[in-house]
Amino acid sequence: MADKRITIQTTRYDPDKDEKPRLQSYEIPFYDDSMVVLDALNYIKSNVDGSLSYRWSCRMGICGSCGMMVNGTPKLSCSAFLRDYWPRPIVVEPLNNFPVIRDLVIDMDDFMQKLKSIRPWIIRKQEIPLGAGAHYQTNEQIDDFRQFSECINCMLCYAACPVYGLNNEFLGPAAIALARRYNLDSRDQGLKQRLPVIADNEGVWECSFVGECSVVCPKGVDPAKAIQQTKLDTTMRFVLPYGNRD
Amino acid sequence: MPANWWTRNRRYFLYVVREFTVVPIAAWLLWMLLEIKRADGGPAHYYPPSSTAFVVFSVIVLLFSLYHSFTFLSLAGVIIHVKVLDRPVPSRLIVLSQFALWAVASVVVGFVLIWFAR
Repeated sequence: MADKRITIQTTRYDPDKDEKPRLQSYEIPFYDDSMVVLDALNYIKSNVDGSLSYRWSCRMGICGSCGMMVNGTPKLSCSAFLRDYWPRPIVVEPLNNFPVIRDLVIDMDDFMQKLKSIRPWIIRKQEIPLGAGAHYQTNEQIDDFRQFSECINCMLCYAACPVYGLNNEFLGPAAIALARRYNLDSRDQGLKQRLPVIADNEGVWECSFVGECSVVCPKGVDPAKAIQQTKLDTTMRFVLPYGNRD
Repeated sequence: MPANWWTRNRRYFLYVVREFTVVPIAAWLLWMLLEIKRADGGPAHYYPPSSTAFVVFSVIVLLFSLYHSFTFLSLAGVIIHVKVLDRPVPSRLIVLSQFALWAVASVVVGFVLIWFAR
């Protein structure tokens, strides 16, 4: 086991020196079956090349920081086990469809703006004072939106979405899934504030249901479902009598 | 995005095939509209093409439309969300109901066409 090695080919890009991103190969020891791609990158950074840049934080699939393309598929690098690839080499690249800042670090600004645009927080027409007590919900009411609240904003769905890749004006899977999460929340009253963004041409109607966003989601969220259901709901609001109620 | 993005994985490829199927279906439907327009002039003006090439094309279009319908109806369980007695109806049941409706609609349309053709 101690002699086992694995080749990691990772994107290197320094905007001050390189014209375009390139792949660099590192052969590192694969000393433990529980090693993940993030461990391999940390090994390279600590022992081989300290200039390698990438984002990570929790190392347990919660923070959503370490999303990368692993052999062409968007993955959390903390959840991609080397044993699933060995003895083949592993190619680690920055997430597709985003500008690259350096090495494996992508520019998240577009995503952050889109996220903010759908107002992902509980909106009340009139705030209830704290002294009035809690907003109670039944289990059924929580079940309505629970899966959409699991999103960790890792952006793997954006990297997997060819629609976003072809037109980055598209609001995108995670933002729409989060909009649906709040629209389905019995405590929320912000649907009409979100509708102009989600029902826009670049909102749900831009999606042509490739479905890959739901396949790559590491938390089991189904953004494709959120988008298609939002299409149906917005249509019903338009065609049904009194459909445009709050 | 490179032009060959849809060859990157099997699911992208099947998605593009699904979307592409509407092109020959649209061509076939346009032809049918033309035939209906011609039939408006009476039996003398109605001469549907019966060449082997056209029959082959029609069979291909039929397969494409079956594939498109199958993928569309299979996804109905994802899209439609209804509750009965405050409980969500399982996706599988929704998909089955869509296929049942499809079968019933096909029988009704077939019956009407055959009935009026007699």
